[in-house]
Amino acid sequence: MSNFQIKKVLLDAGTSLHIQTEKILSRLPGVPVQYIEGIRSKRNNDEFGSSAPETACTQDNTFEHKPRLGKDTLHLISYKGEFLKPCPGTREYICCGYQILNVATNCPLDCSYCILQAYFNQPNLRVFVNLEEELKRVLHVIDSEPDRIFRVGTGEFTDSLAVDPITCWSDLLLPAFSKRKNVVLELKTKTTNIERLLDSKYRDRIIVSWSLNSPYIAAREEHGAASLKNRLKAARQCQSEGYILGFHFDPLISHPRWKEGYLKTLDLMDKYIDPEKIIWISIGSFRYMPGLKPIIRRRHPKTCVLNGEFIMGLDGKMRYFKPIRLDLYRFLRENLEKWHPDLGLYLCMESDDVWQKSMGWSPGNTTGLSHYLDKRVLKIFG
Amino acid sequence: MEIRKIAGATPHGVGLNNIDDSPGPCCMSFGFDLKPLILSIDTIGLINSPVLIESGQGKMTIIAGFRRVQAFKYLKRDEIPCRILLENSVSHLECILINLHDNLSTRKLNDVEKGMVLSRLSLYLPESEILEHYMPLLDLPSRRETLFLFMALESEPDVFVKESVVRGSLSLKTFKRLLKMDHESRTHVLNLLSSLKFNSNQQTQLFEYLIDLKHIHDKSLSELLGDISIKRILSDENLNMPQKAKAVLGFFRSKRFPTLADAESTFRKKVSRLGLPKGVKIVQSRFFEAPYHRLEIRFREGEDLKKKIEQLTRSDRLETLRDPWEEGG
Ligand code: SF4
Repeated sequence: MSNFQIKKVLLDAGTSLHIQTEKILSRLPGVPVQYIEGIRSKRNNDEFGSSAPETACTQDNTFEHKPRLGKDTLHLISYKGEFLKPCPGTREYICCGYQILNVATNCPLDCSYCILQAYFNQPNLRVFVNLEEELKRVLHVIDSEPDRIFRVGTGEFTDSLAVDPITCWSDLLLPAFSKRKNVVLELKTKTTNIERLLDSKYRDRIIVSWSLNSPYIAAREEHGAASLKNRLKAARQCQSEGYILGFHFDPLISHPRWKEGYLKTLDLMDKYIDPEKIIWISIGSFRYMPGLKPIIRRRHPKTCVLNGEFIMGLDGKMRYFKPIRLDLYRFLRENLEKWHPDLGLYLCMESDDVWQKSMGWSPGNTTGLSHYLDKRVLKIFG
Repeated sequence: MEIRKIAGATPHGVGLNNIDDSPGPCCMSFGFDLKPLILSIDTIGLINSPVLIESGQGKMTIIAGFRRVQAFKYLKRDEIPCRILLENSVSHLECILINLHDNLSTRKLNDVEKGMVLSRLSLYLPESEILEHYMPLLDLPSRRETLFLFMALESEPDVFVKESVVRGSLSLKTFKRLLKMDHESRTHVLNLLSSLKFNSNQQTQLFEYLIDLKHIHDKSLSELLGDISIKRILSDENLNMPQKAKAVLGFFRSKRFPTLADAESTFRKKVSRLGLPKGVKIVQSRFFEAPYHRLEIRFREGEDLKKKIEQLTRSDRLETLRDPWEEGG
């Protein structure tokens, strides 16, 4: 079950007539609803317009209070932007060629390292109630390229399942994606909200993924997320009910005794998961836009995620100094491969030389990595 | 609000003895140098007459023009032409606004003076009005935190800190950080900043390191700044001030980034052992992040270039240049 509470619902102009709005409100009895007219609704196209959120200043400041980002406020919006967008990779690093299905922005969980804290120019959990209509357009795009494999995920700008008990997106998305042969839908989460998935009869082309970390980081930095054990128990349940799993060790955080910590997580994986039915495991290290640092310092004063040796990467984001990343990746790769030799391991946003030195091979570029992951799709789903 | 129109009022000579010597409750002057004004008044006379208000018993209080009155006193004049407001004819807020506009029309206010304006206005006006009307007038963003920062600067008890901000040797960002520090850390920081002239970028950098190190090692700023190595740098007679500032920054950088500092130093040593021909340089990729380093060759003509390339290819040490963190790097 969801372990957070919605305290207020905001409705943008026009959304009150929407069928999804009605359904969502019916699942939130007694929660106050406020109608918003005018300027706000005009700004819906501008979700990705700014690098700094309205509520959070980008400077360390004595006089500001902790920006709350409206994590307990559900804002229902008829989103006018693109619902399917390629993952914003950069030229300098190898990207996985993922497609983001944009169903919502922001997240009720509160991971200290979350880039969303600095990403959106609007607070609140913003849920797009016109998903059902827009999904037709998205599926049309997918259907129009039958020879291409679309790897689609909803977990880039929010947690895929955190608000599923309220929005019931899975009821809508699973049948739509399960029917198609040139697409997979990945639902990425740190929660245990799998009830609706288990109730669904659709399994084909659906990947349920969990983000994992060391127990130390999970307990200390992933506020509001399920414990590692519970995440893996939920994963096991999904696996035993026929779902294909994915895992994401991203962001890896260098912290005291990190090797021991990540080994504990691997032990837990071994205890709960059958490695045969894993489509992929991504590995990535913590990286952030420079503007996020003061926000993290202010919102999470006790965090350890900023303690590492970060340098400015070729894409302008901060990332660990290369030998530290190499250590993290090599260690994870070696130990994951000891567990099972064919897990579809890949690095997230890394350079060719880092791939070579830590993974022992490199896809060379984004196209190469896309092919590798497409092959994983074909291998697992056919 | 409508400010009383005083621009057209006729100035009257007022005996300097009759003018209250204190800056007055509306004064917005801090850290000024009187000499240019004295010279100007002495050369071409007074252009803009001060505004005074009668304060009873024949005494006058300065509303605007404190510096001009001071200049006249310095020049040992008996009288100064002033525009005079009758006692109780204007509100205190009007007096503040007269002073503000008088100042704005002739000069730029420094940061402490801006703080003085905002603090005085805040006694009479709602915050929203100050943010909306007066912050832009002072060339400041209409943000609450900026308003509070400038007011905190005005009420800062340490004149040295205020003067340092006005001189530019203490950045506003650093001042904001000082507000959060305990007394001991603050004293350490101020001692360091006053003994070494860090520019504003260096101050920002220094605090980046210090705050990160404070979190990483759970140490106070005074503990960090009290490190024996810092004391050694400060007392090193072979270093001048900018060199000391650089050395202090270098020290904290290597504490903050030990792996990087180590790699850089290993790489530098390796390169120096290569015995590169004169005019040939290897430039390390920034933070070793790009996969390639750069080779620079300075040459006069093709002949010279060929010689240098040949020398390079003959070197059997080039192969030893690897990533510094790799074994034997
Ligand atoms: S679960 Fe993901 S989206 Fe949610 S707060 Fe954590 S990092 Fe951000």
